[in-house]
Amino acid sequence: MNPLVSRITGNSWIAPVSIMCVVLGFMIATAWVTDQTRASRLSLLSPAQRNRVQSGSVDMQTAIQDTQAEVAKLRAEKTKLENAMASQTSSTKALNDSLQEMKRLAGLTDLEGPGVRVELKDSKKPASGIFPADLIIHDLDVLKVVNELWNAGAEAITVNNHRVVGGTSFRCVGSVILVDDVKIASPVIIRAVGDPDTLKGAMELPEGVLSDFREIDPAMATVTKVDKQRLPAYAGSTTKRTGTVPKDAK
Amino acid sequence: MGILIPITALVIGAVLAVLLNSPLVGITAQYLAVACLAGLDSVCGGIRSGLEGKFQNDVFISGFVFNILIAFGIAWMGDQIYIDLFLAVALVLGWRIFNNLSLIRRILLTRLKDYRDRKRMQEMVQSASQTESAP
Repeated sequence: MNPLVSRITGNSWIAPVSIMCVVLGFMIATAWVTDQTRASRLSLLSPAQRNRVQSGSVDMQTAIQDTQAEVAKLRAEKTKLENAMASQTSSTKALNDSLQEMKRLAGLTDLEGPGVRVELKDSKKPASGIFPADLIIHDLDVLKVVNELWNAGAEAITVNNHRVVGGTSFRCVGSVILVDDVKIASPVIIRAVGDPDTLKGAMELPEGVLSDFREIDPAMATVTKVDKQRLPAYAGSTTKRTGTVPKDAK
Repeated sequence: MGILIPITALVIGAVLAVLLNSPLVGITAQYLAVACLAGLDSVCGGIRSGLEGKFQNDVFISGFVFNILIAFGIAWMGDQIYIDLFLAVALVLGWRIFNNLSLIRRILLTRLKDYRDRKRMQEMVQSASQTESAP
């Protein structure tokens, strides 16, 4: 005899409860957030909850990385095909040369050359007498360094191996920094191709972008010259949905 | 095993929804999620009253349907008047779910204890009668 089943009353409740459980299960499964419905549901949440939900999805990060690897592969193949086509006539060759130049400018190709490597780390110092937020690398710090490097004549920049292009954004979500869609955290490694001396000089300027860190903890920022490095191509989306080129500009 | 049947039914319902594959999008799904809490609360309440021996079919089914509609309606109305009323629904129903589940747990624990006590008594009676029958 099962101890959990009542002996005093009948089990008349089981059938109706079970029927309603079918309905409830149906409702829960319908209301469950899936990949299909996630986009339309996220926009309805408050900003705080949205951040909480989004920063928890590790699966999305691996999915993004997989997709980006595929994008990089396909773009490399496309370049090969363009070069193969260009070998046929001189006009296609000229066309292809200008196309490859544009891709280089847009950050859609790998780029090799000398430059600098800037490493930003959260400080390990105890936060006594220092405002704790000053010990952490923020999105704005990364943005300032990247801005200074562009100004010093960098030809290409990557942040943790993510290529910085025209539309790249640096944002803060919870405890991580978002570079476009890619989440990064300390240590932030910014690599730039350009004249190493000029770039390093720009980083070491007195009262420059790194001086604030160094006042707090010299270990937070290190700048090293690099003789040769290869920066990966931009692997994010280049699809533009809204704008079109006007006819008279074509 | 009576309590396993509703759980199985829950899974069946979920599987049905997955098979039909008609995901709700947007704000309606958000209201339905709140209504799910009401359904969960009603089912927990039903199981509780069933275990207590106070189960009434009409009360349970009308409660299930109306609680879901009310939860859905309150969440909807909150958005019409810019008050997070779904928080109120989540708070009240969440509290009731906890309450019901703790009562269910207590009832089951008491039953288990009773069952063990009864079994021990039976064994004692049996061993006593055996020693008596043996000369």
